[in-house]
Amino acid sequence: MIAVEGLRLDYRTGIRRVRALDGVDLVLRRAATTAIVGESGSGKSSLVTALLRLLPPGASLSGKITVEGRNIMSLSEKELSASYRWTTVSLVLQGAMNAFTPVLTLGRQIAEVLEVHRRLSRTEAMGKAAALLEETGLPRSWTARYPHELSGGQKQRAAIAMALACDPLYLLADEPTTALDVITQAEIVTLLKGLTRWRGLGLVLVTHDLALASAVADRLVVLQAGRVVDEGPTERLLDAPGHGHTTSLLEALKTLEASDHD
Amino acid sequence: MTEIVRLDGVGHLFAGRGGIAPSRALHPLSFSLHESRSLALVGESGSGKTTLLRLILGLEEPTEGTVSLFGADPAAPGEEALRARRRCGYVPQDPFGGLPPTLSVLDAAAEPLLLPGSDIDGALARRQARELLRLCLLEESLWAARAGMSLSGGQRQRVCLARALVTDPDLLLADEPTSMQDSQTRRRLVELLQARSARGKTLLFVTHDLVLARAVTERAVVLLRGRIVEEGPTEDLLSRAIHPYTRALAAALPRLGQPLAAPPPALGPAPPGSCPFVDRCPHRMPACASAPPLRSVAEGRRAACWQEAPQKPTG
Repeated sequence: MIAVEGLRLDYRTGIRRVRALDGVDLVLRRAATTAIVGESGSGKSSLVTALLRLLPPGASLSGKITVEGRNIMSLSEKELSASYRWTTVSLVLQGAMNAFTPVLTLGRQIAEVLEVHRRLSRTEAMGKAAALLEETGLPRSWTARYPHELSGGQKQRAAIAMALACDPLYLLADEPTTALDVITQAEIVTLLKGLTRWRGLGLVLVTHDLALASAVADRLVVLQAGRVVDEGPTERLLDAPGHGHTTSLLEALKTLEASDHD
Repeated sequence: MTEIVRLDGVGHLFAGRGGIAPSRALHPLSFSLHESRSLALVGESGSGKTTLLRLILGLEEPTEGTVSLFGADPAAPGEEALRARRRCGYVPQDPFGGLPPTLSVLDAAAEPLLLPGSDIDGALARRQARELLRLCLLEESLWAARAGMSLSGGQRQRVCLARALVTDPDLLLADEPTSMQDSQTRRRLVELLQARSARGKTLLFVTHDLVLARAVTERAVVLLRGRIVEEGPTEDLLSRAIHPYTRALAAALPRLGQPLAAPPPALGPAPPGSCPFVDRCPHRMPACASAPPLRSVAEGRRAACWQEAPQKPTG
């Protein structure tokens, strides 16, 4: 379980201070899909970076993050790299948005994660990279391909393979379907959901799209202005929102869905 | 009723250059848009939606067929094409490239009113621009900022919309104009477009989202890999689609509390000359090796599928 308590995050830009997270309390369970939903500026991406402790200089983070009973706030950079990022909590990069470096093959990029964080040899790592690509529906031989040879959806599959490389317990996916069309989006979220269920992982899907979240997640967390304003099982939240902001997000969608031109 | 846009057998081939093979963006296709009507071009990335808009605006000349915009050839040099184009407002897909970088938000919104030959003075233009910026939900604190520099993608997109609407054009061509907007803002912008249609203005709307398309348009054309696969009332395409691709588009769209359905992933590019959905279609049959023609299947509806009314997918 990931437990977040009283999480505060401030960014300093010049003389201005911006509060991105303003006392977030949250529990994310394994073997469940939780969607974190919010409009732009709600703090959802900040929450993801804070969970991975991947903050830019000038950011100050306070509060508690406990993952599987371990206090994450006290870990050193070295410990985070050796036994937390990729291995316990992993981030699905936005593959379609050029998260891969163009100059290395997919196999090399996935293998590097395994060499650094799992201390595998190059040969072992390349073998595992091929198996990971296969698990996400790509041919094993595509370890030899470069990112530009793949479509957006295929790159996103490779990004999922990379996130799974070190057998993490939780997968964080921040807008994993950005820049994909609706059919590819459905393919990717179905794949994410299937793989995490099969492997018994906790999936945390961060999205601005409440409809997408409701189609995929068991639980919804609604963020507004750096705070959790609503939280609960998906069906309950849709039927009986616990906060006015959820209601207005739902209304905006329902108006659109009910909106007939004439 | 007047035809505002008419395409007759319009196809487009981007020329190859320096060893790059030519690329077919559009197979010859025809459709028209009448005055006071609204039409959506629906399809995924690479389907040819943006190329079609550019051809209609004369920003690109088709390699086959003829385009007519307010009765003129929009790509031809001369006054007639210029007049036709000036009756259009255009919201480009990319709001990062679509704004003059040195102008303030307010001046960028007023600029279309002050083009050479305009008899509107600067003060009036700015007054109208201010009204449009308000309607497009741009906070007053942003009006002095450089439009092309310091705004977020969503804000730029709204400046582009204000620019396109400031001349109150007879035809609005909008390419995914709400793709970067929050749900609440999107709803307000949709209302803005609906109000415009209610005043009898014409709309050509590009999107991959059939629900959004239904909110703003009466009819839609579904494009896949440069071909029209289905055309009809937007409501029918969402609820009673004929072509398996249109049904897949509707099923893949996230709707509140409904499960998502994805068709089988593409096995590779569709062979040239085949139905553009052949590699993913659950109803594939041998005939699909050649592209089916677009034919009339019911009143006001056209579809390009060898199975005129394929059964609903089971399971």
